[in-house]
Amino acid sequence: MMGAAWLLRRLVASIAIIFAVVTFVFILIHAAPGKPCAGQPEDVDPAVCAQLNRQFGLDRSIPEQYWRYVVALAQGNLGYSFSLRRPVADAIAETIPFTLQLAGAALLLDFLLGLGLGIYQAGRVNRLPDVIIGNATLFIYSLPTFWLALLLLLVFGEKLGWFPVGGASDPVFCPVVDSLYCVRDRLWHLVLPAATLGLVGAAGTARFQRAAMLDVATQDYVRTARAKGVPERRVVWRHQLRNALLSFITRFGLAFPFLLTGAVLIETIFAWPGMGRLAFEAILTRDYSLVTATALVASTMVVGGNLLADMLLGLADPRLRVRAGADVEALTA
Amino acid sequence: MLSAMLRRFHLTSFIFLAVAALAPAGCERRGGCTGPNCGTLIDAAVTEPPTLLPPSTEDIVANDIGEQLFLKLADVGMSTNTVGDEDFQPLLAQKWEWDGPLTLVFHLDPRARWQDGPRVTAADVEFTFNAYTDSAVGSPFRPKLHRIASVTQRDSLTTVFRFKEKYPEMFYDAVYHMRILPAHLLRPVPRDQWKTAAFGRQPVGDGPYRFVRWQAAQSIELVADSTFFLGRPGIRRLIWRITPNLQVAVQQAIADEADVREQLVTPDNVARARAAPQLSVYPFRGSVYTLLLFNLRASDDTTKPHPIFSDRTLRRALSMAVDRASLVKSALGDLGKVPPGPMSELLGIWDPDIRQLPFDTALAARILNGQGWRDHDGDGIRDKDGQPLAFHILVPTSSVLRRQYARLLQEQFRALGVHVEIDELEPSVVNQRAATGKFDTIILSRQNDPSPSSGIAQSWTRAGFGGSNFGRYYSADFEQLVDRAVTATSRDQARALWRRAMETVNADAPGVFLYALENVGAVHKRIENVQFRPDSWAALLRTWRIPPDRMIDRDRVER
Repeated sequence: MMGAAWLLRRLVASIAIIFAVVTFVFILIHAAPGKPCAGQPEDVDPAVCAQLNRQFGLDRSIPEQYWRYVVALAQGNLGYSFSLRRPVADAIAETIPFTLQLAGAALLLDFLLGLGLGIYQAGRVNRLPDVIIGNATLFIYSLPTFWLALLLLLVFGEKLGWFPVGGASDPVFCPVVDSLYCVRDRLWHLVLPAATLGLVGAAGTARFQRAAMLDVATQDYVRTARAKGVPERRVVWRHQLRNALLSFITRFGLAFPFLLTGAVLIETIFAWPGMGRLAFEAILTRDYSLVTATALVASTMVVGGNLLADMLLGLADPRLRVRAGADVEALTA
Repeated sequence: MLSAMLRRFHLTSFIFLAVAALAPAGCERRGGCTGPNCGTLIDAAVTEPPTLLPPSTEDIVANDIGEQLFLKLADVGMSTNTVGDEDFQPLLAQKWEWDGPLTLVFHLDPRARWQDGPRVTAADVEFTFNAYTDSAVGSPFRPKLHRIASVTQRDSLTTVFRFKEKYPEMFYDAVYHMRILPAHLLRPVPRDQWKTAAFGRQPVGDGPYRFVRWQAAQSIELVADSTFFLGRPGIRRLIWRITPNLQVAVQQAIADEADVREQLVTPDNVARARAAPQLSVYPFRGSVYTLLLFNLRASDDTTKPHPIFSDRTLRRALSMAVDRASLVKSALGDLGKVPPGPMSELLGIWDPDIRQLPFDTALAARILNGQGWRDHDGDGIRDKDGQPLAFHILVPTSSVLRRQYARLLQEQFRALGVHVEIDELEPSVVNQRAATGKFDTIILSRQNDPSPSSGIAQSWTRAGFGGSNFGRYYSADFEQLVDRAVTATSRDQARALWRRAMETVNADAPGVFLYALENVGAVHKRIENVQFRPDSWAALLRTWRIPPDRMIDRDRVER
């Protein structure tokens, strides 16, 4: 098992990273041009803005705002949203489940499809299927995500009507998910956004996994297994894939930032009510508390994902259990 | 062989189960509501309101929902005439009378009740006026009520408005800006906390619809109040489906996932909506105009005149160089008009015959030559005393149409020998720069309410300095005309004075008035009695209806 000291070290480092991210985002969003104020840009009444600024403490100096923010954060208070006129914690608590549903579905598609294609290609290296899939994954991987999203929305939503045009549920029949029918409705709404995120991710995973499988294929233990007459299927699944999974776990850790940044765009295009869309709208309205809080939650998820990946690596590779600590970090860096 | 078949079977089964699990979600529907009082209307909204408490926000969706939840004393009619009281429709007030030149008495309808039970009384009206004019509430409507001296109650159903002066729009000011609020529910809430009050997310009103739920970033749902004293609404359920952008909202209407998209905005969207078999389109007068605003003060120091735009003659020359008619035709087709001044078509003072500067590039060139602005160094750009005739146009990235206009203007000014650079920036940055005067020119869209009085005064007089008169335009003649128009004793006199005021501002050219959008809404064909009141499309929603023989699945839902 991983040492408790190693875990403690990683936890302390993680907290420091998260705190640094929050500080950086706080300074950056305050330094950015544009100020928070309600209403349309053209019709905004400066007197109303001034009053709102006073009410939300935005008329104080940046160091004072930062100090107040840190003190409140230490007490578990994420502040009040200027644009939503409600506690930031409430807004985030409502959106996180949607982002997790989207990211989870995309991750599933990404890894199942990517892993399957990578393994399939590695078994047919340089043959026609490998070439076709290789080019197809490269094509999908190079597509801008927003373009793919708009294309899917137009074709499968508006033109064919197979899937809903945005949203997370049918507002008439399923305003809340309280039945099996509504669970299916949620899944039906999830298809296009998850496919957009997952397909691009799967294309990357397939290429990554193919390379990892080929790398392992030249190892002595694989050659030995083949020489001993072990059936090819067993060689692939037991010896090749199992060892190639180490790099797959590393990719799992790296997938979190990709999914969360992708979610900002995808949630906005598909009107998915998740944290990415919340962050995007908070940036546009310069809702300082909300921007900083979404950065806090996102960085926690990313750091947590990486920590989880490191722990999984330790579990998957017995060598790392003994040399836990710096070696694991070196491997995953 | 067998294992291969099994594998294939497993794969096929998996795909079948996945499809079976998802497909019914698209076609299975529940609901058993029948008869004339069913029906669901889904509006594809493009913003989410910050609150539903009327005095705390000017958000357009909050206003649409407010129309259903909170009544005014009376409201403008389809003519949107704001002068006098003859075109107004009674709502909470059953009747009214004038008790002298400065006193207006309203008699409340005794049948009106708050949805939690109590009767709507004159105390609610008095409480509402006090709240709207309380600086602690910080209502954006407060400046529009400054001519009302007091609101008091004579008895539980009679309320008295006293004005500071006599003017044609006294009645309009008394009824249009305020939605009457429940004093018994809001009195305990400290006024400085109204912007964040819980009531704003779970309101109780007296209108034709009751609040049901607000799913953040998803939808807001209302249900008809079957006991509403002015008659049961025609459609049982209203849902505002919130999407973050216009294109998705339009797509939802086209894909039959929404019933109404009240503003299609672009010719392309109108064409797509027309092609959708289940949609009808409804044109109505627009309330927005767009202009290229010149900053008359230096962009780095508002105490100094702008080196170019402080010169009235030069502004006039630049205005004459813009072919507004052809710009409208190429960018908007039939969806736009050239405004005859700083106004939208919603205003009753709109008149294409108001005198404007002509489009005359030859005259514009002669004026610039006469002023010494010539191309001395042969680089294609006019200059004077070593200073090139060049400026920046500020435009928000959020508006495709305005960005397109910026490029077209750049080309038209280039033909005159004027160099233009375009700064496309985020709306919040544009907002900040506009408010602080850090710009040369800016392409702005302005929304009018039905009266010219408050909006024009705020945007084009000294009262708007530090406010929405971003370009700091000032003309003593114009201000005098506006003052006289606002306090004119008759409609015709006011109209004539407004016309002269508009001609004055046109001659001074504080900006180029580019286009006024014609609104076009899309509504599902199964809905009958559709009426869009130009100043507020949702004002008459309670009279829309869906005949039982045209109902679809979502109309029959019963919860």
